[in-house]
Amino acid sequence: MSIELVTYPELCHGCGNCVVTCPVNALRSPEVAGGKGPTDEVDLIMEVEDGSIELKRTELCGKCGACARSCPVSAIRLEKLEDAK
Amino acid sequence: MMETTETIDQDKNISVQRTGEETRKLAFKNVLCTSCGLCEKICPVTAIEVEPAGATLEEQEASKIDIKEDKCVLCGMCACICPYNALEMEIDGKSVKDIEEYPKLLKSAEISEDVCVYCKACETACPRDAIVIARDLPERSKLVTGEIEIDKETCIDCGICEELCPADAITMEHKEPTADSPTVSSDIEVDKDKCVYCLICKKACPVDAITAACRQCSYGEYDLKAEDSEITGSTFIDEDLCVDCGWCEEICPVDAAKVEKAFEGTITVDQEKCQGCETCVMICPCNALSFPKSEESGGKPEKLHAEEKYCIFCGACEKACPNEAITVERTGIKSTPIKSKSWKTAFESVKGTSK
Repeated sequence: MSIELVTYPELCHGCGNCVVTCPVNALRSPEVAGGKGPTDEVDLIMEVEDGSIELKRTELCGKCGACARSCPVSAIRLEKLEDAK
Repeated sequence: MMETTETIDQDKNISVQRTGEETRKLAFKNVLCTSCGLCEKICPVTAIEVEPAGATLEEQEASKIDIKEDKCVLCGMCACICPYNALEMEIDGKSVKDIEEYPKLLKSAEISEDVCVYCKACETACPRDAIVIARDLPERSKLVTGEIEIDKETCIDCGICEELCPADAITMEHKEPTADSPTVSSDIEVDKDKCVYCLICKKACPVDAITAACRQCSYGEYDLKAEDSEITGSTFIDEDLCVDCGWCEEICPVDAAKVEKAFEGTITVDQEKCQGCETCVMICPCNALSFPKSEESGGKPEKLHAEEKYCIFCGACEKACPNEAITVERTGIKSTPIKSKSWKTAFESVKGTSK
Protein backbone atom coordinates (compact mmCIF):
# COMPACT_ATOMS: atom_id res chain seq x y z
CA MET A 1 0.00 0.00 0.00
CA SER A 2 1.11 3.49 -0.66
CA ILE A 3 -0.79 6.73 -0.99
CA GLU A 4 0.04 8.67 -4.14
CA LEU A 5 -1.09 11.75 -6.04
CA VAL A 6 -3.71 10.89 -8.64
CA THR A 7 -5.30 13.29 -11.13
CA TYR A 8 -8.56 13.15 -13.03
CA PRO A 9 -7.95 15.44 -16.05
CA GLU A 10 -11.50 14.85 -17.31
CA LEU A 11 -12.79 16.62 -14.16
CA CYS A 12 -10.19 19.40 -14.12
CA HIS A 13 -11.33 22.95 -14.86
CA GLY A 14 -7.76 24.22 -15.07
CA CYS A 15 -8.22 26.75 -12.27
CA GLY A 16 -4.72 26.26 -10.95
CA ASN A 17 -5.73 26.26 -7.27
CA CYS A 18 -3.64 23.15 -6.62
CA VAL A 19 -0.57 24.62 -8.31
CA VAL A 20 -0.77 27.77 -6.20
CA THR A 21 -1.79 26.05 -2.94
CA CYS A 22 0.93 23.39 -3.06
CA PRO A 23 3.42 24.39 -0.33
CA VAL A 24 6.25 22.62 -2.12
CA ASN A 25 5.60 24.61 -5.29
CA ALA A 26 5.31 27.77 -3.20
CA LEU A 27 8.70 27.23 -1.60
CA ARG A 28 10.36 26.57 -4.97
CA SER A 29 8.74 29.49 -6.78
CA PRO A 30 7.57 32.72 -5.16
CA GLU A 31 5.85 33.56 -8.46
CA VAL A 32 3.71 30.46 -8.23
CA ALA A 33 2.98 31.17 -4.55
CA GLY A 34 1.77 34.61 -5.65
CA GLY A 35 -0.72 33.10 -8.06
CA LYS A 36 1.14 33.32 -11.38
CA GLY A 37 2.43 30.60 -13.58
CA PRO A 38 6.20 30.11 -13.48
CA THR A 39 8.15 32.24 -15.91
CA ASP A 40 11.39 30.35 -15.50
CA GLU A 41 12.34 26.70 -15.59
CA VAL A 42 11.42 25.62 -12.09
CA ASP A 43 10.54 22.11 -11.01
CA LEU A 44 6.97 21.95 -9.77
CA ILE A 45 4.91 18.98 -8.62
CA MET A 46 2.04 19.87 -10.93
CA GLU A 47 1.20 22.50 -13.51
CA VAL A 48 -1.81 23.44 -15.60
CA GLU A 49 -1.05 22.90 -19.26
CA ASP A 50 -3.55 23.61 -22.04
CA GLY A 51 -6.26 24.07 -19.44
CA SER A 52 -5.74 20.79 -17.61
CA ILE A 53 -3.73 19.45 -14.71
CA GLU A 54 -0.44 17.72 -15.46
CA LEU A 55 1.66 15.98 -12.84
CA LYS A 56 5.33 16.82 -13.17
CA ARG A 57 7.91 16.14 -10.43
CA THR A 58 5.72 13.95 -8.19
CA GLU A 59 8.78 12.67 -6.32
CA LEU A 60 8.93 16.09 -4.60
CA CYS A 61 5.43 15.58 -3.13
CA GLY A 62 5.27 15.41 0.66
CA LYS A 63 1.66 14.17 0.54
CA CYS A 64 0.25 16.94 2.73
CA GLY A 65 -3.06 17.00 0.86
CA ALA A 66 -3.26 20.78 0.42
CA CYS A 67 -3.89 20.43 -3.33
CA ALA A 68 -6.72 17.96 -2.81
CA ARG A 69 -8.35 20.25 -0.26
CA SER A 70 -8.11 23.25 -2.59
CA CYS A 71 -9.53 21.55 -5.69
CA PRO A 72 -13.17 22.52 -6.25
CA VAL A 73 -13.93 19.43 -8.34
CA SER A 74 -11.77 16.71 -6.74
CA ALA A 75 -9.67 16.41 -9.86
CA ILE A 76 -6.52 15.89 -7.77
CA ARG A 77 -6.55 13.42 -4.93
CA LEU A 78 -4.33 11.35 -2.70
CA GLU A 79 -5.31 7.74 -3.16
CA LYS A 80 -4.18 4.37 -1.99
CA LEU A 81 -2.51 2.43 -4.78
CA GLU A 82 -1.82 -1.24 -4.36
CA ASP A 83 1.89 -2.05 -4.62
CA ALA A 84 2.87 -4.16 -7.55
CA LYS A 85 3.79 -7.44 -5.89
CA MET B 1 4.45 -25.29 12.92
CA MET B 2 4.49 -21.53 12.82
CA GLU B 3 2.12 -19.62 10.62
CA THR B 4 1.73 -15.84 10.28
CA THR B 5 -1.58 -14.39 9.13
CA GLU B 6 -2.68 -10.81 8.61
CA THR B 7 -6.22 -9.49 8.56
CA ILE B 8 -7.56 -5.98 7.96
CA ASP B 9 -11.13 -5.21 9.02
CA GLN B 10 -13.59 -2.64 7.67
CA ASP B 11 -12.39 -0.01 10.16
CA LYS B 12 -8.89 -0.35 8.69
CA ASN B 13 -7.67 -2.07 11.86
CA ILE B 14 -4.86 -4.53 11.25
CA SER B 15 -4.15 -7.77 13.05
CA VAL B 16 -1.02 -9.84 12.55
CA GLN B 17 -0.97 -13.21 14.28
CA ARG B 18 1.58 -15.98 14.52
CA THR B 19 0.82 -19.39 15.90
CA GLY B 20 3.45 -21.77 17.21
CA GLU B 21 4.72 -22.62 20.68
CA GLU B 22 3.10 -19.39 21.76
CA THR B 23 0.51 -17.30 19.94
CA ARG B 24 1.66 -13.75 19.25
CA LYS B 25 -0.76 -11.15 18.05
CA LEU B 26 -0.13 -7.55 17.02
CA ALA B 27 -3.27 -5.43 16.79
CA PHE B 28 -3.39 -1.98 15.19
CA LYS B 29 -6.25 0.42 15.91
CA ASN B 30 -6.48 2.83 13.01
CA VAL B 31 -8.60 5.43 14.79
CA LEU B 32 -6.00 5.97 17.54
CA CYS B 33 -3.07 6.34 15.13
CA THR B 34 -1.74 9.81 14.29
CA SER B 35 0.80 8.65 11.69
CA CYS B 36 3.69 9.87 13.83
CA GLY B 37 5.99 7.21 12.42
CA LEU B 38 7.61 6.02 15.67
CA CYS B 39 6.63 2.39 14.95
CA GLU B 40 8.21 2.61 11.51
CA LYS B 41 11.34 4.08 13.07
CA ILE B 42 11.76 1.45 15.80
CA CYS B 43 10.81 -1.63 13.74
CA PRO B 44 14.01 -3.73 13.48
CA VAL B 45 12.92 -5.45 10.26
CA THR B 46 11.32 -2.54 8.32
CA ALA B 47 7.97 -4.29 8.33
CA ILE B 48 6.02 -1.09 8.94
CA GLU B 49 5.34 1.77 6.57
CA VAL B 50 3.54 4.88 7.78
CA GLU B 51 1.99 7.36 5.37
CA PRO B 52 2.30 11.08 6.14
CA ALA B 53 -0.68 12.21 8.18
CA GLY B 54 -1.84 14.68 5.52
CA ALA B 55 -2.22 11.83 3.05
CA THR B 56 -4.33 9.74 5.40
CA LEU B 57 -6.46 12.78 6.10
CA GLU B 58 -7.41 12.76 2.42
CA GLU B 59 -7.43 9.04 1.71
CA GLN B 60 -9.56 7.70 4.52
CA GLU B 61 -10.08 4.35 2.86
CA ALA B 62 -6.51 3.39 3.65
CA SER B 63 -5.04 2.21 6.94
CA LYS B 64 -2.63 4.80 8.29
CA ILE B 65 0.09 2.19 8.49
CA ASP B 66 1.01 -0.86 6.50
CA ILE B 67 2.41 -3.94 8.24
CA LYS B 68 4.14 -6.48 6.01
CA GLU B 69 3.31 -9.81 7.58
CA ASP B 70 6.09 -11.58 5.72
CA LYS B 71 8.63 -9.30 7.40
CA CYS B 72 7.05 -8.74 10.84
CA VAL B 73 8.70 -10.83 13.55
CA LEU B 74 6.10 -9.88 16.17
CA CYS B 75 8.73 -8.59 18.56
CA GLY B 76 6.38 -5.96 20.01
CA MET B 77 8.76 -2.99 19.90
CA CYS B 78 6.25 -0.92 17.92
CA ALA B 79 3.55 -1.59 20.50
CA CYS B 80 5.87 -0.52 23.32
CA ILE B 81 6.95 2.79 21.69
CA CYS B 82 3.53 3.87 20.35
CA PRO B 83 2.52 6.93 22.41
CA TYR B 84 -1.11 6.67 21.26
CA ASN B 85 -1.83 3.04 22.24
CA ALA B 86 -2.67 2.39 18.60
CA LEU B 87 -0.58 -0.79 18.57
CA GLU B 88 -1.14 -3.58 21.06
CA MET B 89 0.86 -6.77 21.35
CA GLU B 90 -0.45 -9.91 22.97
CA ILE B 91 1.34 -13.14 23.79
CA ASP B 92 -1.00 -16.06 24.43
CA GLY B 93 -3.79 -13.56 25.01
CA LYS B 94 -1.83 -11.46 27.53
CA SER B 95 -0.99 -7.86 26.71
CA VAL B 96 2.72 -7.04 26.86
CA LYS B 97 1.65 -4.08 28.99
CA ASP B 98 1.04 -6.65 31.72
CA ILE B 99 4.33 -8.47 31.17
CA GLU B 100 7.13 -7.01 33.28
CA GLU B 101 9.94 -7.67 30.80
CA TYR B 102 8.38 -5.42 28.20
CA PRO B 103 9.13 -1.70 28.71
CA LYS B 104 6.23 0.68 29.09
CA LEU B 105 6.34 4.40 28.35
CA LEU B 106 5.85 6.42 31.53
CA LYS B 107 3.03 8.76 30.70
CA SER B 108 -0.04 9.73 32.62
CA ALA B 109 -2.56 12.46 33.25
CA GLU B 110 -4.42 12.94 36.52
CA ILE B 111 -6.74 15.49 38.04
CA SER B 112 -6.84 15.76 41.81
CA GLU B 113 -10.46 16.14 42.94
CA ASP B 114 -9.22 17.49 46.29
CA VAL B 115 -7.80 20.51 44.48
CA CYS B 116 -10.14 20.82 41.46
CA VAL B 117 -12.61 23.70 41.55
CA TYR B 118 -14.58 22.30 38.59
CA CYS B 119 -14.04 25.34 36.37
CA LYS B 120 -14.08 23.09 33.27
CA ALA B 121 -11.14 24.91 31.61
CA CYS B 122 -9.41 21.56 31.04
CA GLU B 123 -12.55 20.03 29.55
CA THR B 124 -12.71 22.89 27.05
CA ALA B 125 -8.98 22.87 26.31
CA CYS B 126 -8.49 19.10 25.96
CA PRO B 127 -7.76 18.55 22.25
CA ARG B 128 -8.99 14.95 22.42
CA ASP B 129 -12.23 15.60 24.33
CA ALA B 130 -10.93 13.11 26.86
CA ILE B 131 -11.99 15.03 29.97
CA VAL B 132 -15.45 15.17 31.49
CA ILE B 133 -16.08 17.45 34.47
CA ALA B 134 -19.42 16.99 36.21
CA ARG B 135 -20.38 19.59 38.78
CA ASP B 136 -23.23 20.26 41.18
CA LEU B 137 -23.88 23.94 41.76
CA PRO B 138 -25.42 25.26 44.97
CA GLU B 139 -29.03 26.45 45.00
CA ARG B 140 -29.14 30.09 43.98
CA SER B 141 -31.50 30.87 46.86
CA LYS B 142 -28.82 29.76 49.34
CA LEU B 143 -26.35 32.32 48.02
CA VAL B 144 -28.62 35.32 48.67
CA THR B 145 -30.61 36.50 51.62
CA GLY B 146 -33.34 39.09 51.84
CA GLU B 147 -37.03 39.84 52.02
CA ILE B 148 -39.61 40.72 49.42
CA GLU B 149 -43.34 41.29 49.56
CA ILE B 150 -45.82 42.67 47.05
CA ASP B 151 -48.77 44.55 48.51
CA LYS B 152 -51.50 43.17 46.28
CA GLU B 153 -53.98 45.88 47.42
CA THR B 154 -51.69 48.63 46.13
CA CYS B 155 -50.54 46.76 42.98
CA ILE B 156 -52.13 48.06 39.77
CA ASP B 157 -51.27 44.96 37.68
CA CYS B 158 -49.05 46.89 35.29
CA GLY B 159 -46.65 43.94 34.90
CA ILE B 160 -43.54 46.16 34.84
CA CYS B 161 -41.85 44.21 37.65
CA GLU B 162 -42.51 40.91 35.86
CA GLU B 163 -41.02 42.26 32.64
CA LEU B 164 -37.93 43.70 34.31
CA CYS B 165 -37.11 40.90 36.76
CA PRO B 166 -33.69 39.48 35.62
CA ALA B 167 -34.27 36.25 37.54
CA ASP B 168 -37.78 35.51 36.20
CA ALA B 169 -38.93 35.36 39.82
CA ILE B 170 -42.16 37.36 39.41
CA THR B 171 -45.23 35.84 37.76
CA MET B 172 -48.44 37.71 37.10
CA GLU B 173 -51.59 35.80 36.22
CA HIS B 174 -52.74 37.80 33.21
CA LYS B 175 -56.40 37.71 32.26
CA GLU B 176 -59.03 39.54 30.24
CA PRO B 177 -61.16 41.88 32.38
CA THR B 178 -64.85 40.91 32.63
CA ALA B 179 -67.88 42.77 33.94
CA ASP B 180 -67.89 40.81 37.17
CA SER B 181 -64.08 40.91 37.55
CA PRO B 182 -62.76 44.12 35.91
CA THR B 183 -59.01 43.51 36.41
CA VAL B 184 -56.20 42.48 34.02
CA SER B 185 -54.61 40.11 36.48
CA SER B 186 -55.92 37.60 38.95
CA ASP B 187 -52.77 37.33 41.05
CA ILE B 188 -49.06 38.16 41.32
CA GLU B 189 -46.42 36.01 43.04
CA VAL B 190 -42.71 36.19 43.80
CA ASP B 191 -40.80 32.91 43.70
CA LYS B 192 -38.39 33.34 46.62
CA ASP B 193 -36.19 30.49 45.39
CA LYS B 194 -35.50 32.51 42.26
CA CYS B 195 -35.40 36.07 43.66
CA VAL B 196 -31.88 37.47 44.10
CA TYR B 197 -33.03 40.61 45.96
CA CYS B 198 -31.59 42.94 43.34
CA LEU B 199 -34.45 45.39 44.11
CA ILE B 200 -35.04 46.34 40.48
CA CYS B 201 -38.77 45.62 40.87
CA LYS B 202 -38.99 47.79 43.93
CA LYS B 203 -37.28 50.71 42.18
CA ALA B 204 -39.41 50.32 39.04
CA CYS B 205 -42.84 49.87 40.65
CA PRO B 206 -44.89 52.99 39.77
CA VAL B 207 -47.07 52.70 42.90
CA ASP B 208 -44.46 51.51 45.46
CA ALA B 209 -46.34 48.24 46.01
CA ILE B 210 -43.14 46.26 46.57
CA THR B 211 -41.20 46.19 49.83
CA ALA B 212 -37.88 44.44 49.44
CA ALA B 213 -34.51 44.42 51.15
CA CYS B 214 -31.24 42.64 50.50
CA ARG B 215 -29.91 41.49 53.86
CA GLN B 216 -26.48 40.79 52.39
CA CYS B 217 -26.11 44.45 51.38
CA SER B 218 -26.85 45.74 54.85
CA TYR B 219 -25.53 43.00 57.15
CA GLY B 220 -22.97 41.14 55.04
CA GLU B 221 -23.00 37.38 54.84
CA TYR B 222 -23.76 36.58 58.49
CA ASP B 223 -26.82 34.47 57.77
CA LEU B 224 -25.35 32.65 54.77
CA LYS B 225 -23.73 29.29 55.48
CA ALA B 226 -20.41 28.64 53.77
CA GLU B 227 -21.28 24.99 53.20
CA ASP B 228 -24.37 26.02 51.22
CA SER B 229 -22.22 27.68 48.59
CA GLU B 230 -19.92 24.70 48.09
CA ILE B 231 -19.49 23.41 44.53
CA THR B 232 -19.03 19.67 44.33
CA GLY B 233 -18.31 17.47 41.36
CA SER B 234 -16.25 14.77 39.77
CA THR B 235 -13.57 14.53 37.11
CA PHE B 236 -12.96 11.88 34.50
CA ILE B 237 -10.15 11.37 31.99
CA ASP B 238 -10.74 8.82 29.25
CA GLU B 239 -7.39 7.05 29.09
CA ASP B 240 -8.06 5.67 25.62
CA LEU B 241 -8.45 9.18 24.22
CA CYS B 242 -5.92 11.05 26.40
CA VAL B 243 -2.55 11.63 24.75
CA ASP B 244 -0.90 13.24 27.80
CA CYS B 245 -0.34 16.49 25.92
CA GLY B 246 -0.32 18.70 29.01
CA TRP B 247 -3.11 21.11 28.09
CA CYS B 248 -5.09 20.35 31.25
CA GLU B 249 -2.05 20.92 33.47
CA GLU B 250 -1.15 24.17 31.74
CA ILE B 251 -4.65 25.65 31.74
CA CYS B 252 -5.72 24.56 35.24
CA PRO B 253 -5.90 27.67 37.46
CA VAL B 254 -5.43 25.71 40.69
CA ASP B 255 -2.77 23.15 39.70
CA ALA B 256 -5.15 20.22 40.05
CA ALA B 257 -4.00 18.47 36.86
CA LYS B 258 -0.69 16.68 36.59
CA VAL B 259 0.65 15.25 33.35
CA GLU B 260 3.71 13.10 32.84
CA LYS B 261 5.05 12.93 29.29
CA ALA B 262 6.96 9.95 27.92
CA PHE B 263 9.24 11.96 25.64
CA GLU B 264 11.36 15.00 26.31
CA GLY B 265 12.43 17.07 23.39
CA THR B 266 12.21 20.19 21.29
CA ILE B 267 10.17 21.33 18.31
CA THR B 268 11.44 24.05 15.99
CA VAL B 269 9.92 25.68 12.94
CA ASP B 270 11.87 26.99 9.96
CA GLN B 271 9.73 30.04 9.21
CA GLU B 272 11.34 30.45 5.76
CA LYS B 273 10.35 26.96 4.66
CA CYS B 274 6.83 27.04 6.09
CA GLN B 275 4.32 27.97 3.39
CA GLY B 276 1.29 27.90 5.63
CA CYS B 277 -0.49 24.82 4.24
CA GLU B 278 -1.78 24.07 7.75
CA THR B 279 -1.45 20.30 7.40
CA CYS B 280 0.51 20.07 10.66
CA VAL B 281 -2.11 22.10 12.53
CA MET B 282 -4.85 19.78 11.28
CA ILE B 283 -3.11 16.56 12.22
CA CYS B 284 -1.50 17.48 15.56
CA PRO B 285 -3.45 15.52 18.20
CA CYS B 286 -2.17 17.85 20.91
CA ASN B 287 -3.26 21.20 19.49
CA ALA B 288 0.35 22.29 19.94
CA LEU B 289 0.54 24.16 16.64
CA SER B 290 -1.31 27.25 15.47
CA PHE B 291 -1.11 30.16 13.08
CA PRO B 292 -1.08 33.45 15.01
CA LYS B 293 -3.50 36.08 13.79
CA SER B 294 -2.04 39.40 12.73
CA GLU B 295 -2.66 42.01 15.41
CA GLU B 296 -2.95 44.88 12.98
CA SER B 297 -4.02 44.87 9.36
CA GLY B 298 -1.01 44.34 7.16
CA GLY B 299 0.98 43.00 10.11
CA LYS B 300 3.18 39.98 9.54
CA PRO B 301 3.05 37.51 12.44
CA GLU B 302 5.23 34.41 12.56
CA LYS B 303 3.91 31.79 10.14
CA LEU B 304 3.61 28.80 12.43
CA HIS B 305 3.67 28.83 16.21
CA ALA B 306 4.78 25.61 17.90
CA GLU B 307 4.26 25.37 21.65
CA GLU B 308 6.44 22.82 23.44
CA LYS B 309 4.25 22.96 26.55
CA TYR B 310 1.57 21.03 24.68
CA CYS B 311 3.81 18.92 22.42
CA ILE B 312 4.54 15.26 23.16
CA PHE B 313 7.30 15.17 20.55
CA CYS B 314 5.75 12.33 18.56
CA GLY B 315 6.95 13.81 15.26
CA ALA B 316 3.67 13.47 13.31
CA CYS B 317 3.89 17.14 12.18
CA GLU B 318 7.49 16.72 11.06
CA LYS B 319 6.46 13.70 8.99
CA ALA B 320 3.40 15.49 7.59
CA CYS B 321 5.19 18.70 6.54
CA PRO B 322 5.91 18.61 2.80
CA ASN B 323 8.64 21.24 3.10
CA GLU B 324 10.56 19.84 6.08
CA ALA B 325 9.87 23.08 7.92
CA ILE B 326 9.38 21.36 11.29
CA THR B 327 12.06 19.61 13.30
CA VAL B 328 11.09 17.49 16.28
CA GLU B 329 13.98 16.25 18.34
CA ARG B 330 13.47 13.72 21.09
CA THR B 331 16.14 14.06 23.78
CA GLY B 332 14.78 11.68 26.37
CA ILE B 333 12.41 8.75 26.75
CA LYS B 334 10.90 7.82 30.08
CA SER B 335 10.00 4.16 30.39
CA THR B 336 10.00 1.33 32.86
CA PRO B 337 13.47 -0.28 33.09
CA ILE B 338 14.69 -2.01 29.93
CA LYS B 339 16.80 -5.09 30.57
CA SER B 340 17.54 -6.28 27.05
CA LYS B 341 20.46 -4.56 25.32
CA SER B 342 18.84 -4.72 21.88
CA TRP B 343 15.67 -3.14 23.22
CA LYS B 344 17.72 -0.41 24.88
CA THR B 345 19.39 0.28 21.54
CA ALA B 346 16.02 0.29 19.78
CA PHE B 347 14.54 2.78 22.25
CA GLU B 348 17.66 4.97 21.92
CA SER B 349 17.26 4.88 18.13
CA VAL B 350 14.06 6.92 18.23
CA LYS B 351 15.88 9.79 19.95
CA GLY B 352 17.07 12.68 17.82
CA THR B 353 15.22 13.77 14.70
CA SER B 354 13.78 11.74 11.87
CA LYS B 355 15.78 13.77 9.37
